[in-house]
Parts: sequence; structure tokens; C-alpha cells
Amino acid sequence: MSTVRFAVGDRVRVKEECPGGNPRTPPYARGRIGTVIAYHGTIENPLDHRDVYPPLYSVEFTLGDVGGAEPAATVVADIHDEWLEPAPAENEGGETRGS
Amino acid sequence: MSAGHPHMQDFEGHVEAVAADYEYFRRKRIEPRVLLYLRRGIIGWSDLFTGHEQAGPPSPVETSGDLEARIRALEDSLDEMVRAIGTVTAGIRLANHDVPIDDNRRERGDYNPEFRLASRTYEGDLESRIAQLETAIAETRHLIDAFTRALVERGEVTEAALEENRKRLSSIGYRNGARIVARAWVDPDFKRRLIETGREAVRELDIPPGRLGKLGVAENTEDIHNIVVCTLCSCYPHDLLGDPPWWYRTDEYKQRIISDPRKMIEEMFGWRVPPERRIVVHDSTSDVRWMVLPRRPEGTEHLSEEELADLVTPESLVGAMEIPPP
Repeated sequence: MSTVRFAVGDRVRVKEECPGGNPRTPPYARGRIGTVIAYHGTIENPLDHRDVYPPLYSVEFTLGDVGGAEPAATVVADIHDEWLEPAPAENEGGETRGS
Repeated sequence: MSAGHPHMQDFEGHVEAVAADYEYFRRKRIEPRVLLYLRRGIIGWSDLFTGHEQAGPPSPVETSGDLEARIRALEDSLDEMVRAIGTVTAGIRLANHDVPIDDNRRERGDYNPEFRLASRTYEGDLESRIAQLETAIAETRHLIDAFTRALVERGEVTEAALEENRKRLSSIGYRNGARIVARAWVDPDFKRRLIETGREAVRELDIPPGRLGKLGVAENTEDIHNIVVCTLCSCYPHDLLGDPPWWYRTDEYKQRIISDPRKMIEEMFGWRVPPERRIVVHDSTSDVRWMVLPRRPEGTEHLSEEELADLVTPESLVGAMEIPPP
């Protein structure tokens, strides 16, 4: 997988599950929509895991969106490409970023 | 053990911390590793029994001295146990088997609670809990010794490689992070390279950069306070900065940081993040391991780079506290 599917600023949705994919996506982020804030490329990390995982993005979620108490705070999770899909277009306001 | 945690002021807090961290290392770092190697046939039960005989019975526990001395000795024996685990697991490559870290995460149930080892509780009065922990740590230490001997006997590791690894690990610590931070404070070009290239930049300080994926550096500013966690396990750039403080590995920290980081920081570390400062939590997921670049305290303009490094605390590298002015 060599194409970079998402750009910084894109809205993405994390899949609920990813059969056959790597296990490194935190449960609170699954099914949630966030914003790509960094692209890390493909990271070789053979001491950590056997296969080379797909390209990695930093995705920022507002804490309110992942069940947290403080709406303004955010959590940034590093999530591999196989777990991500474009966020569906928002109905209100016609926002279509990332779709 | 770490300063700054309000619990650390009293005996109860110290013993509570030893129990929590001992359970973490027992249930996550060593017992699953032994089970995994048995499961894979890397070692056999008979190797462990032989190792047990060679190691002799667990060393008797020194129980004299006042409470404070015993607690200090308990903490030292835990530190020594942690070092022994690191020596035989961290960065060690077996001769005939490839066992990346994630295999151990699966074995210990990070992705499937059914695999998690039962946790023990330590009850009774303070002295009785201390005695239970003294025995428990000695027993685990014995298991580590038997396990290590088994691997040597099987030709999976050599004594020389273990000794080299022990030396390597003892040279790694938060002090590396303190030097990195101090350099970034005095040299803006270095700071830029650090944030852009991570591990590559630390070579400039003659610090071994480590090999566990990419290093992420989150810079604190007047407007943003960064704090690091690993909610899935306890990833940290430990191959560069050493092990993080013990509370980093606790479930309490991992859970509360996502639900209410501001309140968690105030209640666990006694620091109120200025209300106008936005909090950003960085969740390390193994391929990028994060450290925080804390803010340089005021009134430090006259300090040398080395003096600045002395101000940096392990807590500040995670983002749990700010560095107070000297």
C-alpha cells in the first residue's frame, strides 16, 4: 500500500473493527471521527511486531467525541491506514472535507 | 521511585506503589513471557526445574531494621527485579526464535482479557503487606533467574550478551531526556530537527537513539499542554529515556487521562493546568513513541545547558507536571 490516502486536515472515521488488521487501535477511537494532523509514512519496527504495518497517521479527536469530560481537550492517536476510511459527509452545513 | 506524586509522602503510598508496580511487572513482563516461551517450545518445564535447582532457594529476605529501611530495601529489590527482567527481555534477540514485543502483548491479554493473569491483592496491616511483598519479589526474582538460566542452557542467549544488555540498560534513563530537553531550550535549530526527525537528532548529543519505531516530540507552549499515555499497554520511548515513572503503567492513569485529563493531573499530581491552556493527550501506539518537550521555566536565562538539564524531571517528560522555576 504505497499511496497516501489522506492529507493533513482530512476528516476520517476509524473502523469499528478491522479483521486481519493490526491490533493497535485504541477501543475508544473505534467508530469515531477525527482529523488527520500528521502523516508518519511506513514505519519499520521489527523489534515491536512481526509484519510491517500500513502507513501511519496521527488522528486528533475531541475528547467529547470519545466519551471524555472536557470538550476542548483533544486526544491524538496514531492509527494505521487499514483502520481508516473517509468520514461521511456531514449533513448539516454541507461540509464534505475528507470525503 | 518518583517524586511529585502526592502519595509518595507517606509509607502507605510507597507500599501501595510497590504493590502496583510489582503486580504490573509480574503479570505483564515476566510471567507471560515465561508462558509464551513454554508455549513456543523455546524452553521446556524441565529447563525451568533445572534452573530452579541451579539458582538455589530464593534468597532469604532481610526483615530487620525500621519500617522506613524495610520499605527502602523493598523498593531496591523491586528495582533490581525490574532490571533482571529487562536484562533477559528488553532488546534481546534469541538465537533461534524471533519474538517481537507484540507477541508478549497478545500472550498477556492486552487484546483479549481472557488471557490476563489473575492479579493478587496484598492485605493486612502495613508490616504484613511489606512482608508479603518481600516474599513475592524474592520468588519472582527466583523465577527470573531460573528462566534466564534456561535460555542460556538452551543456547538462546549467552552470558556475555546478557551482561552487555545489562550495561546498555543501566546507561539509559530519563537523564537522556533531560539532556535532549536542555539542548532544545538553548538551540532552536536543534529543537526543529528534534521535532522533525526525532531519534536522528539525538545522535548529536551522543545518545544512542534506540530502535523502537519513531520518536514523537510534543512541544508544550503557552497555549497547549501535551501529556503522553499508552492506553493499549505502556509504550514509551524506554529504549531512549528508560522506563517511565511507575504510575504511567497503572490503569488509573490510562483511564482517567482519556475521561478527564485536567482533573486527573490535578488530583494525581497536584498541578492545576492553567485554564486557558488546551490539553492534548498523545496516545502512543508502538510505532510512534512520544515524549513531551516541557516549557523552559522562567528565571533560567543565566543557567548553563547542564544546569538546565538538572531541572528536568521524569514527570515533565510525560507531561504530568510542569517544571517549576528554580
